[in-house]
Amino acid sequence: MTPLIAAARLLGAVNGAVLGAGRMLGVLAIAAMVAATLLQVFCRYVLGNALPWPDEAARFCMLWMTGLMAPQAFRAGGFVAIDTFDTLLPGRGVQALQLVFLAISLAVLVIAARIGLSEVTGIGGRFATASLYLPVSWGLDQWYRVPRSWMMASLLVGVWLLILVNIELMLRRVLALLGHEGDLPEIAGAGHGGAE
Amino acid sequence: ADITLRATANSNENDEDYDGLVVFKNYVEAASNGAIEVELFIGTQLCSNGAECLQGVADGSIDIFMSTSGGVAGLFPYVQVLDLPYLMPDDRTAEKVLSGEFTRKMRQMALEDSGDTIRLMTIGNTGGWRNFANTQKRIETPADLRGMKMRTVVADLPQELVKAMGASPTPIPWPELFTSLQTGVVDGTKNGITDIMGMKFPDAGLQYLTLDGHAYMAALWWMSNQTFQDLPDNLKRVVVDGFYALQQATFASPKRKSIAAYEAFVEGGGDLYVPTPAQKAEFRKAADPVYDWFRANVGRGGEIFDAFAAAVETARSELEAERAAELD
Amino acid sequence: MTLIWFLPLFLLLLLAGLPVFFGLLAAPGAILWLNGQDRDITLLYRNLYNGMDSFPLMAIPFFMLAGELMNRGGITLRLVEFSQALMGHLRGGLAHVNILSSILFAGLSGSAVADTSALGSMLIPAMEKQGYSRRFAAAVTAASSVIGPIIPPSGIMIIYAYVMGESVAALFLAGIVPGVLVGLGLMAVVRLMAGRHDFPVASRKASWGERGEASLKAFFPLMTPVIILGGILGGVFTPTEAAAVAVAYALVIGLFVLRSLRLRDLPDVFARAGLSSAVVLLLVGAAMSFKTVVSLSHAPEALAALVLGLTENPYLLLLLINLLLFVVGMFLDAGPAIIILGPILGPVFAGMGIDPVHFAIIMCVNLTVGLATPPMGLVLFVAASVSRERVAAISRAILPFLAVEIAVIFLITFVPAICLTIPRLAGFLD
Ligand code: NA
Ligand code: NA
Repeated sequence: MTPLIAAARLLGAVNGAVLGAGRMLGVLAIAAMVAATLLQVFCRYVLGNALPWPDEAARFCMLWMTGLMAPQAFRAGGFVAIDTFDTLLPGRGVQALQLVFLAISLAVLVIAARIGLSEVTGIGGRFATASLYLPVSWGLDQWYRVPRSWMMASLLVGVWLLILVNIELMLRRVLALLGHEGDLPEIAGAGHGGAE
Repeated sequence: ADITLRATANSNENDEDYDGLVVFKNYVEAASNGAIEVELFIGTQLCSNGAECLQGVADGSIDIFMSTSGGVAGLFPYVQVLDLPYLMPDDRTAEKVLSGEFTRKMRQMALEDSGDTIRLMTIGNTGGWRNFANTQKRIETPADLRGMKMRTVVADLPQELVKAMGASPTPIPWPELFTSLQTGVVDGTKNGITDIMGMKFPDAGLQYLTLDGHAYMAALWWMSNQTFQDLPDNLKRVVVDGFYALQQATFASPKRKSIAAYEAFVEGGGDLYVPTPAQKAEFRKAADPVYDWFRANVGRGGEIFDAFAAAVETARSELEAERAAELD
Repeated sequence: MTLIWFLPLFLLLLLAGLPVFFGLLAAPGAILWLNGQDRDITLLYRNLYNGMDSFPLMAIPFFMLAGELMNRGGITLRLVEFSQALMGHLRGGLAHVNILSSILFAGLSGSAVADTSALGSMLIPAMEKQGYSRRFAAAVTAASSVIGPIIPPSGIMIIYAYVMGESVAALFLAGIVPGVLVGLGLMAVVRLMAGRHDFPVASRKASWGERGEASLKAFFPLMTPVIILGGILGGVFTPTEAAAVAVAYALVIGLFVLRSLRLRDLPDVFARAGLSSAVVLLLVGAAMSFKTVVSLSHAPEALAALVLGLTENPYLLLLLINLLLFVVGMFLDAGPAIIILGPILGPVFAGMGIDPVHFAIIMCVNLTVGLATPPMGLVLFVAASVSRERVAAISRAILPFLAVEIAVIFLITFVPAICLTIPRLAGFLD
């Protein structure tokens, strides 16, 4: 049992650290989204001269925010589900059922990661964004047009992180089934989120 | 049917694209004697933009897809050659150009740039020609456009054109254009007449339309090269002929549909202005910087520009000869 | 196997407790895999990625952030004080204040959960102190919080508009009257009960001077809906930009005008809004995937044929839909329910000549009321945790309020003008 507990602890520590960093980046991304959108409102309606890039830049940030923050919500049990059965089944039954669900979600995520990779490396990823450029010289006279793959990479990274979280959650369920639930630190809780 | 071809266009059933697809489906299913079935998905059910749809064409999850030149410029920037202003004088010339060597040249370039996965089948029309329309005053020469806020899509070429005319390009999403015209966020837009009437822009004050015809609204029809190459030779012929029928249908459909649209525009008090040849020459001259910009900034721009200019020249002289023969 | 089997499989997985996000992908994926439709699996998953890449969706994180900021910045308190100055002197005063505050709060926030936790934590203890039973206080709070996503702005309406290709502005406008109607209906219940149970009066009647002062203090928060809707209708900004403006407005009020928000609070507020919206956005992406398979399977056509076999009377069908939505709303949150049912039911009713905006509002109101409906209503749980009362007790106390809400649902279902008049006057409908 000890190696399994050690693995779960290690993965938990890695996930905690990585997702903590993701949370900080996500906060910056959401702030940047607001700033870019407000700048566009200002330029279009006050200066009467719209900029080409803020809409796309804000979307870029939204996708990275989603990719970086959704795994944390998953880890803290923030994914919406109907949990009627949990109250009907005995504790051990719930753990077993949830292990089955985690196996299903792992399969979904692995396929999503495979197709996400082709989304980043394939034809769709090679599309140039309409308005995002990065300077590639100190004199700001040469600009590199950002490809769409930089946007789509956000969600691929998100799926990879979800896979890490999924494996951690599976280890925890297995240990719980074996009666070692108390040997692991609690995952910091998240409130219920939703559009409601 | 042994083979199902899945075709999609991000438009609606009132659009020329749909007319073309219906003709294609009917021809291919009949001529293949039922060996091929064509399934139509109109709108964004399968994919919702050029990047996404072409990725689907490349990996074979979508067989046939229609795009405008703007929709695929992110991958094949040189298709925007079709948006260059005032190169083709009229429908007849455009149809000759698009039915000949030029389309095969562009097919070759796209196959090269997509690793032999995306095949350009034909180029038709969607919505006629783009014209300058505005809420303020009649535009007779480029000077009249100076200082106006013109709506464009977020793409280089139309923005360069608007700048070349001395106006200020303003990107506004299509669904928000009506309110933007109404509230004066923009003064005008560059669109075909069916789109202008379809969106009821005259109700938002868009009452001045100048038929400068600055861009041919080309419809590019793409097919998964894998799907095409997997067809036996006799069915390849059927598909190729099907795209010919589709092209003819999309050439004809906007002409028919625009009649009622122009009538409605004028009936609603709209001012329809046809520039004189001298004024047209002024527009053409004002657009000069756009050609240089295209050659210098668009990937493989010089190559396609030369091919296009040559094709237009050939088409012109062939048409002159044809007309002369008809008049004889 | 016919593709349409993905629907029952999905239902099964969902009821067993698989998270909605994974169910939306696993059920269609499994049937496609069994059928060997590999290229459609690619299509399914590609839309997960591309479904989230949309400018209008950005309104979701923005409105969530604006709501969090307003709440943290003490704006809620000012709304309650304003409501008290207007209605506190009536019999059952605090119950009325609770409802009026929810109507006002709805103009700032798109979320019923935010309403329940923000207003409930303040008003439930206050009502208890005045002698209302705790279960009644919690029930009024939960019942009135569903107004939040009906009056604009509204998270679920943004989602519906995006998934179904409708205009956000039209849906927002269509929600105003139904939301106010729900509020008035709830006030009527309080009024009826107030005499019978001898509810307390909260305060003496405020003088016009006091009312003026309370209005002044609530002025900035109350201007938020005016700015949002006025800006959208005046063509100053798009709904998405309006949401960003609401964030800026909440920041300015909180940091500089009321000075109730500190800079160091911000990262935490941003993170909370980001976390909740990331979950919703992921769901929207999965919904776009799901919708692709709905199209491929021709499920709406099959369903339409089935339904039209039952009856061709659109009113009877709407009644059946009301029932269906109500049952779904009892078990599933409004956002995911809209995401799942919109693409399936929307085309069926549009084909029968029901205005898509009208149908959208029927769905949204029906499913939000479901949030306050036992056994699985989300805001019931939030109200229970805020009040520390048992869910079962609140569930019984909420029944008279639910009855009124159901009556309002029928009213807006069978009198389309209630929803459609304002968007029509504003030029968003023919
Ligand atoms: Na609201
Ligand atoms: Na309330």
